[in-house]
Parts: sequence; structure tokens; C-alpha cells
Amino acid sequence: MKTSSNRGIRRLADLSLASAIALGVGAFALLPGKAAAEDSALVIARDIDINSLDPSRAWCDTCQIYMSNVYETLIGLDKDNKTLKPRLATKWEANADQSQFTFSLDPDAKFSDGTPVEAKDVKWSMERLENIKGGASYMMDSVKSIEAKDAHTVVVTLSGPNSEFLNILTAPYTGIVNSKVATENGAVATPGADTADKAESWFMQHSAGSGAYELVDYKPGEELRFKANPAYKRTKIGVANIVIKETKDSVTQAQQLESGNADVAMQIDPDTAKTIKADSVSAETVPSYNFLYVALSPGAKEGGKLLTKDVREAIGLALDYDGIIDFTVGGAGSKIASPIPNGFPGTAGLPEPKQDLEKAKELMKKAGYADGFELNDAFPNMNVYGVDMSLLNQKIQQDLAKINIKVKLTPIEFSVWRDRVKSEGIALTTLFFAPDYYGSAQYVEYFGMIKDNPWWNRAGGKRDASFTNPQTDATLQKVLAASEVEKDGFYKQLAEQMISDRIIIPVVSPNLVLAHGKNVSGVRYSACCNLMMDEISRQ
Amino acid sequence: MTRYIVRRLISIPLLLLGIVSIAFFISHTTQGDPLISIIGDRQMDNPDAVAAAKARWGLDKSLPEQYVTYLQNLATGDLGTSFRTKQPVATDLLTRLPATLELVIAAMLIGSIAGIVLGILAARFRDTVIDHLARLAALAGSSTPVFWSGLILLYIFSVVLGWLPGPGRFDARAIAPQSITGFLTIDALLTGDIRGFGQAVYHLVLPATVLGWTVMGIVSRLVRASMLDVLSQDYIVAARARGAGELRVLLNHALRNALVPTLTILGFTFAYLITGAVLTETIFAWPGIGSYAVDATRNLDYPAIIGVTIVGGSAFLISNLMTDIAYAFADPRLRLS
Repeated sequence: MKTSSNRGIRRLADLSLASAIALGVGAFALLPGKAAAEDSALVIARDIDINSLDPSRAWCDTCQIYMSNVYETLIGLDKDNKTLKPRLATKWEANADQSQFTFSLDPDAKFSDGTPVEAKDVKWSMERLENIKGGASYMMDSVKSIEAKDAHTVVVTLSGPNSEFLNILTAPYTGIVNSKVATENGAVATPGADTADKAESWFMQHSAGSGAYELVDYKPGEELRFKANPAYKRTKIGVANIVIKETKDSVTQAQQLESGNADVAMQIDPDTAKTIKADSVSAETVPSYNFLYVALSPGAKEGGKLLTKDVREAIGLALDYDGIIDFTVGGAGSKIASPIPNGFPGTAGLPEPKQDLEKAKELMKKAGYADGFELNDAFPNMNVYGVDMSLLNQKIQQDLAKINIKVKLTPIEFSVWRDRVKSEGIALTTLFFAPDYYGSAQYVEYFGMIKDNPWWNRAGGKRDASFTNPQTDATLQKVLAASEVEKDGFYKQLAEQMISDRIIIPVVSPNLVLAHGKNVSGVRYSACCNLMMDEISRQ
Repeated sequence: MTRYIVRRLISIPLLLLGIVSIAFFISHTTQGDPLISIIGDRQMDNPDAVAAAKARWGLDKSLPEQYVTYLQNLATGDLGTSFRTKQPVATDLLTRLPATLELVIAAMLIGSIAGIVLGILAARFRDTVIDHLARLAALAGSSTPVFWSGLILLYIFSVVLGWLPGPGRFDARAIAPQSITGFLTIDALLTGDIRGFGQAVYHLVLPATVLGWTVMGIVSRLVRASMLDVLSQDYIVAARARGAGELRVLLNHALRNALVPTLTILGFTFAYLITGAVLTETIFAWPGIGSYAVDATRNLDYPAIIGVTIVGGSAFLISNLMTDIAYAFADPRLRLS
């Protein structure tokens, strides 16, 4: 006699078998033909690190790409990564001491809904960026007031001279938003916007810019989809639809390119790039403005006191810079003299860092540490710009062992690292930096040993201010008021001061691999904007 | 049985409250600051920006206050807003759960069918080449790390042979079917998009096989052991003596009893895979609960972490109950109380 449970199992088995057959048949019988994939979206394989698509809150590498292509800034950066070029502003002029700037807007510029870009939108966007207090609000720190003189003229007055203000305006985070559309969806630009503004969730699914593309859809963890903005007339757009597809690691990005499932990838590390064999793929290695650095914190609660000026100097001399480049990026990188990227103002003619073990040992002896000491090295456990931070720190550990510093490595999550740096400081650590725009003041304001600067705080300036460099603050004020001709000289002085501080010791500027299908052209690395999608075309 | 099921159903919310509370306090007391993923590293040194972000996300309140607020919101079905996606966590989970379920169901089908077949063959042909090969396949399935097998199979079948697509649920160049249920295969059929259905199945094959392989390893070993045990029983000898065919003996007499312990494991495996398919989802860029959990954890996205914990906890509790019920159906000698 058959029981009901017996029949149940048999039914289940039949159903399972039928499903398996259906799956198998379905997969192979209904394979989409190659033709189905043609004349469709261009695919960029990328680890999508978006924290927000709200122009005033966004702060990430993918956000740079998004902002650059969806929202236009007043000023653009030319292909040489140095020259400022008109974008929404067709022309601009500064007063004598560079504290007031007047911009004339392009009368033909239109947002994606067809409405013209006007001075009120510029004023609103800049004020919102400041008042939201998001990731990039510090860019508006020097702004005192913004005045819309007429529909196409904007006057920005700063609280003091800032010769780098025009460069700041090339940063994608300063992109101009359609104020009417944004306000209708809960956006607020006035003081108090940090709590009153309710537009972020709207911005996660909609865009309101005048850039070459507009947002079609964002699926976190899956894709970011764009379509060409029909109102955009500044350049001819080569590809109508673009998708940034979530592809976490370098190897998978390379595989996607080789199999033709992706068209562009910019996060492939140099070692993986060497394994690309497909004739259909081009992988060009170019210098980048990104760099990784060792940071020493004399004010760290644990081990900070050991890091006297001589010891810091010794550590700088003990590092094998060539070896680090070979070990971490297979030689595909550059040495970098100061915490300002090669090619930025003030870096020409700076001496390259060199290992000098004898001198390093002498300095250790002079500091009273000939027999060395133990030092904790806590660093974010991540792979950034193609560099495995664990590998980098292992190499640093080997190098410092040669001057009897026994480094104990502690890889930690970035959020934990950040918490520790803020609370007690970390005597020895490593981190990375990518520019927000072309200009050197951003580095001095971040790395310079000026009271209350980010790295002055992190190095423990509030516990031990002995490493404050008053010269740096004075020189920075001079350069911010300087003319174009004088700037390079001042920045060189600032670079030298930061080198001599030995708080921030850059170790490698990894090259960037621009990998794309050979049928794709116009892929380039931009210092401000990462990737300009409107320059890309496909045969 | 009905009383048993009702009692178990009543206990689920209480157990979930315990799970939520543990998840809340562990996530909030873990070292690290979630603000870094909200305002970025640079602004972490700006007290105004930090204060504004804390106030906006309710992180300026004491931990007990945050806990009470969370429970109050939870009682109304509000799981909070993700720090990362800026969408309600409930929306995120509902968007991602179908992707995971689609993958896990396909993997369970592949793994359980292949595992049962291999287990039967291995038991029937004990100590022969078939048995050794089946055990080798099972061993490989349960011991091969998914991150390795996933990458290797992806390389072979997608890059080298070009037979199967790369990561993702759908061809990035194409537009996916309109979301109705969230299951791409079903949505494609509902919208009459046959090519879309093919695409969805095509993208499902490789990740489901990789994930199903681990299921197969577990199932086949269990079925083999159970079958060997059952095949030596007197009633099997009696069945054969009565002249029952070998297939009938294996499927009708032996497998039915051998499946009972397998059902328990299948239930737990299903629940485990809901949140445990992390590596497969990461390698195959599968936008499901697993990859959501990874992102949430890395960014200390508290509401998302607790939301995923609720889903995982619910999956275990419900699958446990379902397994017990299925167990009773499969073996009438068992009575639930």
C-alpha cells in the first residue's frame, strides 16, 4: 500500500527532475545569440564604492565619475590634466588679491529637463554643498558669499585670498544642480540644510544636472546605468548608453574584458594586466596622481614618543623605495618625493627618495636607539589602487628590521582604523590619497603640519605639538595670495617642508592600467574627474 | 501536530526579538565608526560635519535610546534606512531576497538531485569505481572553497570557452525584464520575454552549479551512508526475495527511509545559504542578501546588519519548523509534540 508521504516524495522527485531538465534545456536552448548584445550599452567593470548620489553628499571614486558626467562644474580640466578650461562658465576673472571671482555663464547651457542653467542654480548648488556638511563641504570653506548678479553672472567672494579656488571648482563635487527640480524634491540649500534637507533618497534614483549623461537607474551592488542627456550640446557624445557594472576584483574585471562582457576597466592591477592575452583588449599603463604613504605619529598614545625627529628621519632613509615599487606593483609605479603628486605645482626638481641604511643607523644611534625598539603598525586591510596593503606593510617591516625596528603588523578594517587614528593615534601606519582636483594646496591643507589640519590631528598634535611646522602655515598663506608665476616656488618650499617633517613619507605612486576593448577609444585618466565618459566612443 | 505548529509559530517572534537585540548590541559596540562611509575620511576631522551626520542618523543618542527607538520602529515594520544605499532596509531586503532565493533554489535543486543520485549510486555499487568516483566528487564538493571553484569555473566556462556568461544576473548591455516578483526567470515569463528568460537562466547556471556543488557534497555523503544502512535491513532482503526489481527496491523501499536525515540537512542548508552564499554572490556579482550583508558589515551599516540578521534568523527558524513538519510526513512513525 502506498502512503501519502511516499507519494509526496515521488511527486517531489518528479518535480525536481522536471525542473532540472527545464533548467538544463532552458539554459542551452534559449542561449541569447551574439547579435542580441550588439548596439547596446557600453559596460564599465568597476568596484562601485558609492556612498551617495546626492551631489552635496557624494564622496567616493565612483562618485567622481558619476558627478563629472552628470553634473557640470563651472570650470573644467583639459586633457593635459593641468589647464583650466571653460565648462558652464565661459569666462572668469579674479580681483587682485584673488579673494573675489566673477563668472560668466554659458547662455546655451541647459539642464536635462531643458531649462537653462542660471546664476541662481550656481548660488544654490554652492550654498547647499556648504550647508549640507557632507563629504566635500570643506571645498566651500573659504566662500564668504555668492551673488547672482544677473541670470548669467555669478560673483563669489571669499573670506581671504585663495589662488587655488578656480582649481577647486573643477572638482566634480562642485557640480551645478537644477535648483528648481531639487527643491521640489525636498532639497534645501540654506543654513540648517544638514537636518532640513530630505532629498538624498530622491537623488539616489534621479539626477538633475546639465552634464553629458543623466541617471537612468542605480541598483546598489549591481549597476549604475546612464543615458545621454539630449539637452547636452557641449561635445558630441560617442556612446548613448553606459552601464557601470559591479565587478569587485581586478581579476574578474580583466576576465570580463577578455570575454567581451565589459568594454572598459580602470581598476586592474599591473600584475593582472600582464595576464591579459586577448587580442581584442588594450591595456595601457599610465602614471597616476594617486599615492600610498607611511604616516608616523609622534603624538600616538602607544609608541609615539619613540618617533623623535631623528628616528623619523631614520625610518625615511631605511625604506627601500625601489624595492617597494617592485614588491607591490611589479615595478609599475613611481617614487614620489613629497606628499604632493609628481607633476603637480611645486614638485619639479625635488630629489627622489633614496634608501641610505648607514645614515639611518647613525640617526638611530644618535637618537639613543641603536638596538632598536618594537613598533605597532596598524593599517587598513584593503587593496587600493592595485596595491595590497598587507604586502606593502610586510615590505616596510622587512626594511625597518634592518635598523633594528621590530614592526608588529596589525591589519584592521578601515572603519576600525579610522576610529583608532582619531582616538589614540597609530604610531606607524599606511594610507592612500587621490586628488580631488589639480592643485597642490589641498595636499598642504591635508598633510602639512599646521595646527588643526587633518594629519596634524591624526599624528597627535593635540597631545604633542612639537612637530607643528609654523613655516608651513606662513608659506601656505603666501601661496594662496600669490600670482600664477609665484605659485610654483612657494609650493616647492611647502613640499620641502613636508619632506623635512617626516610625518608623511610617500612610498609609491602606482601606475594606472587603462584597459578597454580595442573597439573603444577615448578612455583616459583625469586628475579631477577619473573618467570622462563623453570622450569615449565605440566602433 | 497543529498545536505543535501553532506553539512554534508563537515562539518565532520572541526568538527574533532575542536575535535582534543581540545583533543590535554587538553591531553597535563593535570597534569602528560607521560615519566614515557616510561623510568620508576627510570630513571625519570636521566636528561640524561629524555632529550633523550623527544627528541625521540618530547616532548622537545614547545606546539604550537608540535601541528603544529601533524596537519602536521595528514594531511598525520599519527596519530603518541603510547608511549606504539611503533606502529603507526593508526595501533593500525585498529587492535582494528574490535574487538570493532564485540562486539558492536553483543551487538546491542541482545539489540535491545530483547528491541523491550520486549517493544512491555510491551505496548500490559500494567499493567499486563508481563508489570511489562518487565519493571523490562529494569530497571535492564539500571541501573545495567556493571562491576558488567559482573563479576557476568562471575562467574556464566564461573566459576560455565562452559558453557561459560572466558575473551578474543579466547581461549588463541589455535591459532586464520589468520587476514583478523580483525573480528574473519568473518576471521574464510573466512579461512574455522569452529571450529574457533565456538570459536569466543562462546567468544562473554557473553560480547555481558552484553553490549546488557544495550542497551535492553534503547530500551525496549523507544519502550514501543512509542507503548503506537501509540496504542491509531485513525488509530490503524481503523485498528482493519477493521479486521486486532493483530500481523499485532502491527508490521505493530504501530511498524513502534514507531520505529522512537528508531532509533535515536540506532544510538547514537552505536556510544557511540564504545568508551564507556570500562568496558565491561576491564572485558572481550576484545582488543578493549575501553581498548586501558583506557591504553592510564592511561599512558598519547598523540598520542593514540587523535587517540581514532578521532575515537569516527567520530563515533558520522557519526552515527548522518546515523540516520538522516534512520529517513527520516523510516518516509516519514520528509524531510531533
